[in-house]
Amino acid sequence: MGERENKKAVLAEAKKAIAAKDYALAFSALKGAASSGCDFALQARFASLFAAIPAAALNLPRLRLAVLSSGTASHLVPVMKFLLACEGLGAEVFESEYDTVHQVILDPQSALYAFKPEITLILTNYRDVRISLGHGAAAEDVKAAVHAAVRSAAGLWAALKKNSGCHVIQSNADIPAHRVLGNYEGSVPWSRLGALRLYNLELAKAAPAGVSILDMEAISSAFGKTRWHDARFWYHSKHTFSLDATGLVACGAAKIIGAIKGLAKKCVVLDLDNTLWGGVIGDDGVSGIALGDGPDGEAFADFQGYLKRLKERGIILAVCSKNEEEAAREPFLTHPDMQLKLEDISVFKASWGNKADAIRQIAAELNIGLDSMVFVDDNPAERQLVRAELPEVSVLELPADPAGYVDALDGAMYFETVAFSAEDVKRGDYYRDNAVRAGLQQQCANIEDYLKKLEMTAVVGELEPMHLPRIAQLINKSNQFHLTTTRYSESDLTAMTAVPGCRCVYFKLKDRFGDNGLISAVILKAAGAEILEIDTWVMSCRVLARTMEEFICGEIVGIARRGGYKKIRGRYLPTKKNKLVERLYERLNFKLIREDPGGAEWELDLSGPVPDYAGYIAKAVAAA
Amino acid sequence: MAKIEKDEIVRRLTSVFRDVFDDETIQLSEEMTAKDIDTWDSLMHITLVVSVEKEFGVKLNAGEIGKLKNVGEMLSLLAERASL
Repeated sequence: MGERENKKAVLAEAKKAIAAKDYALAFSALKGAASSGCDFALQARFASLFAAIPAAALNLPRLRLAVLSSGTASHLVPVMKFLLACEGLGAEVFESEYDTVHQVILDPQSALYAFKPEITLILTNYRDVRISLGHGAAAEDVKAAVHAAVRSAAGLWAALKKNSGCHVIQSNADIPAHRVLGNYEGSVPWSRLGALRLYNLELAKAAPAGVSILDMEAISSAFGKTRWHDARFWYHSKHTFSLDATGLVACGAAKIIGAIKGLAKKCVVLDLDNTLWGGVIGDDGVSGIALGDGPDGEAFADFQGYLKRLKERGIILAVCSKNEEEAAREPFLTHPDMQLKLEDISVFKASWGNKADAIRQIAAELNIGLDSMVFVDDNPAERQLVRAELPEVSVLELPADPAGYVDALDGAMYFETVAFSAEDVKRGDYYRDNAVRAGLQQQCANIEDYLKKLEMTAVVGELEPMHLPRIAQLINKSNQFHLTTTRYSESDLTAMTAVPGCRCVYFKLKDRFGDNGLISAVILKAAGAEILEIDTWVMSCRVLARTMEEFICGEIVGIARRGGYKKIRGRYLPTKKNKLVERLYERLNFKLIREDPGGAEWELDLSGPVPDYAGYIAKAVAAA
Repeated sequence: MAKIEKDEIVRRLTSVFRDVFDDETIQLSEEMTAKDIDTWDSLMHITLVVSVEKEFGVKLNAGEIGKLKNVGEMLSLLAERASL
């Protein structure tokens, strides 16, 4: 059966399941066969069957999304709803009337603001970028015209921020394929191509935190410019791009939204034989595996190179292989064409056990959720097993030909991000250092001995611009150690802490094995003159069980005392993911003052006896 | 390229209609227009056109896209242009 026939079979299965009211089965069938690259005829079938599933049946976390388009977006919206559900979000969508982007954004009384969007997607296209330049225009005129066009977009962002505070996703210019100057068009800044290229660069530069760019230029290039600009449907119904690209655009936007909501993946779990190299290391030996030389060998080396770049941007790599440990490690140590080294791998599991169990162990060692992991294995039977046993794990459908591995992994867009911080580069190292710490822990007789031998020092500092991206990232991406799951953008944080009585304090942790980086932040707010409220407390799970919580609590007590507060109040708002900290305040000797299914409120009375929170961490103050 | 038989066109077009409008009971007739199918509005019309283009490997002109609001015209256009 061909790809299309396969999908049609899935559609028929889903339709049957919907008729039988087995909505979970219907959705899992649709999700399993979803593909952003499908033509529109298929995409529309997926979307319409998905629309037949009652939202309540899937019980996905809700998301209020506004889609404002200068063209016709009516065919995109149902596809986006389906792909957002695949990301784990139940979207409620506000769609503006055709070509009313400016009106709805600039009018504070518009239906857009009545809708209260959490995220607003602005879908414009190259026609909306008003840059008019004469042939041979001077460089400064080009710049001025481009900047004026960027300012026009930025004006809308500012209005959205002022009127709603929603996150904005802005599309850039999908540069047309037609070039009146031919190849020379790209050589001069005043041509349409030259000006739009500059516009896209400047637009991205101008986007503040809280505004993410949907790169329509990249999407249209990958799709093919001549197919993308299907003039027939622009003339007929103001569709700004080919309907067959609907899935790619919807997927691009859905992935950004997933990243904003902290749903992007964090870790790739890799098989070894026929995944990182060709052949079986246990049988073929280091000199016998295909890696580096020959068409397959080059493909495997390139796949490793791609993984290495993922690691360098902060994606954790782990190995899960059915092999003897020593044999499995050997290519990493001795094969000259291995792009990945042992130090790139944060957790290395080689055994003959069940892979689902090994993946559970990897998740536990890294302290990350199974739903933030991607499993990559050439063996369909292993993939099936992991899918069945660990439905939270994303399993990549690898093609048979290693030449297609990079396309498959890249195309799945698992690792979308809306920000980048210096911490990302070091993330793999942090997790690898943890494995070394685990080794020390095994040598120590008891936990106190281990904590002492770690020689930990924490740096305490106040929010400042250099650490802003990392703090925002922690607050927006952490799910487990996050007492209130508050989400604040960089600009929110700056604005909040400008108000007297509100401060954001960050914590870094170092020990003898290395720097754990900036691993925690708290936002403290005065609630009247006597009470200091912990609005937000987030911590990276990679430093759990090292008395860091106690240390931070001690710091909060110090801040409260210096501020003359009498009580500290903290809340726990339960989510599916933060059960870890349900009893945190209890452990820290806070008293429960209120509890209902929506959450619990805890209080520490500073006039009574307050525990000594001193643990095993020495304090250093951040250099101003 | 070989022309396809009218019966074959009707059979395949029926299948496209049934998929697009999600209705297995649809029976096509030459006289049928957008008025005869409740959900055949301007939005679904686009989905229908794109699905017909895909099924028969044809491309309609910009001007034709909006005009084909009855099955008879669609059949004669496909009889003229569609190939196996």
